Amino acid sequence: MPEDIINLIKENVIQGRVTQDDEGIEEGMVGQPGVTELIEEALESGENVSDIINQGLTASMEVVGKKFENEEYYIPDMLASAEAVGAAMEILSPHLASSGIKPKGKILIATVKGDLHEIGKNIVSILLRGAGYMVKDLGNDVEPQDIVKAVREEKPEFLGLSALLTSTMVYMGETIEALKENGLRDNVIIIVGGAPVSEEYAGSIGADAYGADGFQAVAVVEALSSSASDDK
Amino acid sequence: MIRKGLAGGSYKPLTPEAISRINETALRIIEEIGCEVNSDIALASLKEAGAIVDKEQRRVRLPREKSLELIGLAPSEVRLCGRDEKHDIQLGGNRVYTGTGGTALYIYEPDTELKRPATLDDLKKIARLVDKLDNIHLFLLPTYPNELPFEQVDINRFFAGLDNTTKHIMGGIYTLDGMEQVIKMAETVAGSAEALRERPIISMISCTISPLIIDGEYGDLLVAIARKGIPLVCPAEPLCGATSPITLAGNLVVQTVDSLMAIMLTQAVNPGTPVIFGSVATNTDLRDLKYIAGSVEMGLLNAAGAQMAQFYKLPFYATGGMTDSKVLDAQSGYESAITNLLCALAGANFIHDAAGLMEFAMTVCYEKYVIDNEILGMVMRAVEGIRVDDETLAFDLIKEVGPGGNFITAKHTRRFMRKEHYQPGLSNRDSREEWETEGKKNTWESAAETVRTILDGPASSLPDTVRQQILAEFKDIVA
Repeated sequence: MPEDIINLIKENVIQGRVTQDDEGIEEGMVGQPGVTELIEEALESGENVSDIINQGLTASMEVVGKKFENEEYYIPDMLASAEAVGAAMEILSPHLASSGIKPKGKILIATVKGDLHEIGKNIVSILLRGAGYMVKDLGNDVEPQDIVKAVREEKPEFLGLSALLTSTMVYMGETIEALKENGLRDNVIIIVGGAPVSEEYAGSIGADAYGADGFQAVAVVEALSSSASDDK
Repeated sequence: MIRKGLAGGSYKPLTPEAISRINETALRIIEEIGCEVNSDIALASLKEAGAIVDKEQRRVRLPREKSLELIGLAPSEVRLCGRDEKHDIQLGGNRVYTGTGGTALYIYEPDTELKRPATLDDLKKIARLVDKLDNIHLFLLPTYPNELPFEQVDINRFFAGLDNTTKHIMGGIYTLDGMEQVIKMAETVAGSAEALRERPIISMISCTISPLIIDGEYGDLLVAIARKGIPLVCPAEPLCGATSPITLAGNLVVQTVDSLMAIMLTQAVNPGTPVIFGSVATNTDLRDLKYIAGSVEMGLLNAAGAQMAQFYKLPFYATGGMTDSKVLDAQSGYESAITNLLCALAGANFIHDAAGLMEFAMTVCYEKYVIDNEILGMVMRAVEGIRVDDETLAFDLIKEVGPGGNFITAKHTRRFMRKEHYQPGLSNRDSREEWETEGKKNTWESAAETVRTILDGPASSLPDTVRQQILAEFKDIVA
């Protein structure tokens, strides 16, 4: 019953259930298979990977987005659903190539030097994973040189930098300078964000783009990613 | 008549069992999980006082007995003096006082419905205004002077307060150097270093970071201020679902741990130094995790915080009286009233942010100070409660007047009418016809007239010789 399992995946993403131990929004769901169990089951039964992704995951996140817009869902609901999709993509990633699906790009993300605020950055990470990207989180209070090193080694398509304080947002610029000095600036698309940051400020420090919140961050990445330009 | 320092405590959102469970959980967290302390000096001070320190993780844990011992060193009463003695405040027990709060970046102007960056001049004017608003008992420096260089902010903020009101001045501090200058200036105003400790006309605020962190810079400041023996508030600001559990009880646990950790640090540094248990606990907008300032849960959390402080026999700094509204509308009134009322009825010693603040504590408004002064007058009347004795029951009077009589001309009426009934300074009780004839003014328009009258009137400046002495000594002051 292939259609059923995709519907079940969809329903469980909407309920924000990663595993069978998770509660959903509705009562009495604990014990029933969650998204990870359902994905395993779908793979075993030979379900088409691109159907799982498109009809099971992407379509359900669209529903979740609508519910958020309609004020039916709160941020923690969004994050739970995005986490479920992230977990699903992790299981699916070894199967992408054989199914002819191009994986979405790798993203490095960090809160810059001197800044300990990580909630915003973590939300962005979860939402990006939920959108199917591979995200490596470098943590908070990250020195420009450590970011340079990570960009050199990980070769990400995107670098996300976050700062919550006016006193620390200058280190986003310093990080970009450090990347230039090491000849790595043009290898990566840099997106900045955080409460005091603006589109204008992003431009002034030489970033490529600015995301006002987690949802905009995903939209910006989607618009700038090479997979998006391939589609054109 | 001015109502201040009256005993609250009739409203108790926590049962004795709930208080005990929050306390037990908090002490267990301090013992088993501990806090991360990012200030070297704070870490060393706590270690010396008997804390168990994991240097690698910068984690500090205290056995339960050690915690209780350090908390017990903190005084249960803290006196905050005004430049004029009539404004002295004795925080402790369940006595209630109110004050302004901050630190806001903007001024909202109701006539244009726009906001603009706050300047030093605004801070001086707000001090002059609050000086004359009787239901606001303490002046907590409410705004940040955007036009000044960072290193001049501390001295100018405190001077603006001291030079424009004789009420007690409390304020946040931005740099160690600024803190030292401010204390020196206050010593000059008080007459000497000893006179300032005897009658502290200033007090300072340095925050902890929820959950379970004493920050590097703020930790250094906490230690430095505690060493100076200046009254100090160490507020914690757990936000439900973001920096604390989503549940109110979980938030209260984090709030208690974070504030107690800072208090224990001050007592480790300087046993007996005057310190105030502080709460800025609230919830967030679950749609974008924004800080919320006018929720009923904020009222509940800070009322419960007052009970926790009373349990530890520590003076309490609560947060209430704000609104998230962007304008002076109905929301602005009901949010400020409900949060102030819950805190006051619970016996919160000092309700900060009680007047002037709107829009997530980012903005203050001159007219709102006047409106909130009215709310606070009504709130303090509610705190006062109902006096019941032979005189107020008035059997003899009722007998004398008898069936069908009236009480208008009774001496009893004149004796009690001002004491028993709050006389509004702002609320409009005119008939519709009178109100229409007077120009159909709404609340903020009437408040604007009060603002103008007060700012056109005399100021409570520093005595001229002291003022000149300070201006000569501290060149950064923009007089």
